[in-house]
Amino acid sequence: MLASIRIALMTIRLVMRTKVALFFTFLFPIIFLFVYLGLFAHGNPAAVIYFFGPLVTLNIMGSGFWGLGMQSVMQRERGSLRRYRLAPIGPGTMVASNLLANYLLGLPTVALLVVCAMAFFHMPLQISLLALLVLVTAGTFAFAGFGLTIASIANTMQEAQVYNNVVWFALLFLSGVTVPLPMLPHWIQRFAAFLPATYLVTSFQAIMVRGDSLFAHGAEMLVLLVSGTFGLLFAWKLFRWEKEEKISRHAKLLALSCIIPFLVMGVWMNARGNLTAAWAETFSMMSRPPLSGEQPAAPTDANLLADFESPQEAENLLKRWQISTEASAAGHSLGELDLVSPGAAGTAHALRFKGHVAPAPDSDHGNVAVRYTFSLTPRDQGPRGIQFDVRGDSRLFQVKVEPPTSAFATPALSFVPDSDWQTVRLPAAWLAKPAGSSPTGTTWVLEILADGPPGDFKLDLDELRLY
Amino acid sequence: MPNENNSAVVHVQNLHKRYGNLEALRGITFEIKPGEVFGLLGPNGAGKTTAIEILEGLRQPDSGTVTVCGMDPAREKGALKERIGAQLQATVLPDKIRVQEALELFAGFYHQSASIEVLLERFGLAEKRRAFFEKLSGGQKQRLALALALVNNPELVLLDEPTVGLDAQLRRDIYALIEQFRTEGRTTLLTTHYIEEAERLCDRVAILDHGQVVAMGTPRELVHSSGKGTRLEVRLAKPVLPDRLKQLDAVVDCREAEGRYFLHAQPPARAVAALMRFLEAEGNALLDLHIAPPTLEDVFIEMTGRRMEA
Repeated sequence: MLASIRIALMTIRLVMRTKVALFFTFLFPIIFLFVYLGLFAHGNPAAVIYFFGPLVTLNIMGSGFWGLGMQSVMQRERGSLRRYRLAPIGPGTMVASNLLANYLLGLPTVALLVVCAMAFFHMPLQISLLALLVLVTAGTFAFAGFGLTIASIANTMQEAQVYNNVVWFALLFLSGVTVPLPMLPHWIQRFAAFLPATYLVTSFQAIMVRGDSLFAHGAEMLVLLVSGTFGLLFAWKLFRWEKEEKISRHAKLLALSCIIPFLVMGVWMNARGNLTAAWAETFSMMSRPPLSGEQPAAPTDANLLADFESPQEAENLLKRWQISTEASAAGHSLGELDLVSPGAAGTAHALRFKGHVAPAPDSDHGNVAVRYTFSLTPRDQGPRGIQFDVRGDSRLFQVKVEPPTSAFATPALSFVPDSDWQTVRLPAAWLAKPAGSSPTGTTWVLEILADGPPGDFKLDLDELRLY
Repeated sequence: MPNENNSAVVHVQNLHKRYGNLEALRGITFEIKPGEVFGLLGPNGAGKTTAIEILEGLRQPDSGTVTVCGMDPAREKGALKERIGAQLQATVLPDKIRVQEALELFAGFYHQSASIEVLLERFGLAEKRRAFFEKLSGGQKQRLALALALVNNPELVLLDEPTVGLDAQLRRDIYALIEQFRTEGRTTLLTTHYIEEAERLCDRVAILDHGQVVAMGTPRELVHSSGKGTRLEVRLAKPVLPDRLKQLDAVVDCREAEGRYFLHAQPPARAVAALMRFLEAEGNALLDLHIAPPTLEDVFIEMTGRRMEA
């Protein structure tokens, strides 16, 4: 153990002396933080919180695959492991020292990311330091295991790069690291349940955005730790000191078994059935105020767009709400609108959007949408966004606001209601603005889409207003 | 730290090792006594590195028995590594590690270690203690490799081609360092393909070729046991057939290379007289004559029928 610590500390010292290593260990993650949060969070602190987990995951993955894994192969190819082989230390010492060095270099990087996200993107730290440490530790352990497993089965640098790229890109795009999971097709979300990065990303998001306890994600942490253990055991058993030593095909196949924990977890999570709904709920909470930190100003009546309180007005309002079951997208889906009592926050009425989602016989997809057209009067300061209260069946809905004719695809925000009223917020940054226009002074269409598996749905909506 | 009893520090019996179709070692047998400097001499591919790596516990033999410091290298690697020091043919360390750091790092792996300060002084690295490995010259790197081999104050030192790639002056510097090992009573095994190195440094030498020990003894014994005797290197005014020179009195062997004739003679004085008579009778003339005592290379040629190519 002492020898592992000695080598790890020396490795850290060597990194500090190498400009390229310093850049990729500390500076590059910070640059990436600005690019990533700048692109995805649009200055919305709630979105910063949501995307911070994927950012940290990306960093941990990068150091596991491209830092630790590739460095191990490079050391072997260069011949610098041979000298260690003459000393009274074994492969376990080398693997442990690699893991330790990677971990000790990763912690300050994550700390830097936290500080920068708080200082420059006003991210409230909605996670205890202990939970953050546990997540980073489990993630580092898992991806160090993967990186070192790949390093142990790859015979050359080129081979390691090929293996790394295959795994890297799959994790990058299919596990919520770059593209939020609820924005991906349903079947990809189900596939994502088999990918290790998914558990780190979604655990970060559930804890930071939804306020879950760390213990609620014990299974995910356990899977990451078990998988990491598998990987490190393989790295230890397959460790090679010299490039001349080649690994057998049989051993390569055996190394694949470190994905077993994720296969088990994936099957289990898919069988539970509420997987994607939970992800969608977390995603939708980007539109809610942060759990702590600066709160937006309370809405005023001047901001009210629709509250369905006057039955007379409600009749008029209903005319402005339209059900869309456009054949190519809706299949055999149906929808209808009604007024129900009581409404949200002790009011008398709310709008009920209900119906049935059913795909056409030759399709596996169907949806039904309700659209509401409204105008915003010019004002000195544009609104921060649009909000409304919802309750209903616990299934996936999507909302977006766009001009009547939009030249480009508008991003939709997903939410999952439950039996209690809750507020959904769509930040102004999510409004599809025509080039050169402001959110005010334009006609807008709010669209709420009932999507997801076939079946009946019900959604009550009230208190549509600007905030 | 010399071995205090007289039992062999290294005992190798009928060692075999094969890599696929290549038989690297074909039943080699030798012993190294305490305090002895023993050389494995042979061309590249003779099996020297395989043999030394088996002794270091880095490779497993296919068959045969090996005992190093009373231990089986394959089964007692950890304990054995505490008692031996080894130097690789090419030692590669991280570019940005400093000389002193490397010595301290490796010293930290052992239960007992030599004084880093003493090693730095002894191997002429004191002034380079803060230098990065990448900035060291070839000779300095090799001296650091030797210092690393002594970092645990070992009783047996295994050196694999310690001077390969170095120029003559640097080689002589390394020889001086290795000669100190003998005065300290350390047992030393070195592999080399330099005749000069084996003759100067080794108490005993085993000549290896194609995985077999073709001759073994002190350099003097080996040379004297050679039936070929003294070597005469001759340049003549007119070419002659080597077979005709071979038939001269006291000439044991003759071959021709690049216009020169290499005669092995025993005794040499009679051979020189016979050569002069032959040249006079043939109307030929002697342009150059060089007389050299037999070397290990001659022994190698005698045993294998070819020169020892590096």
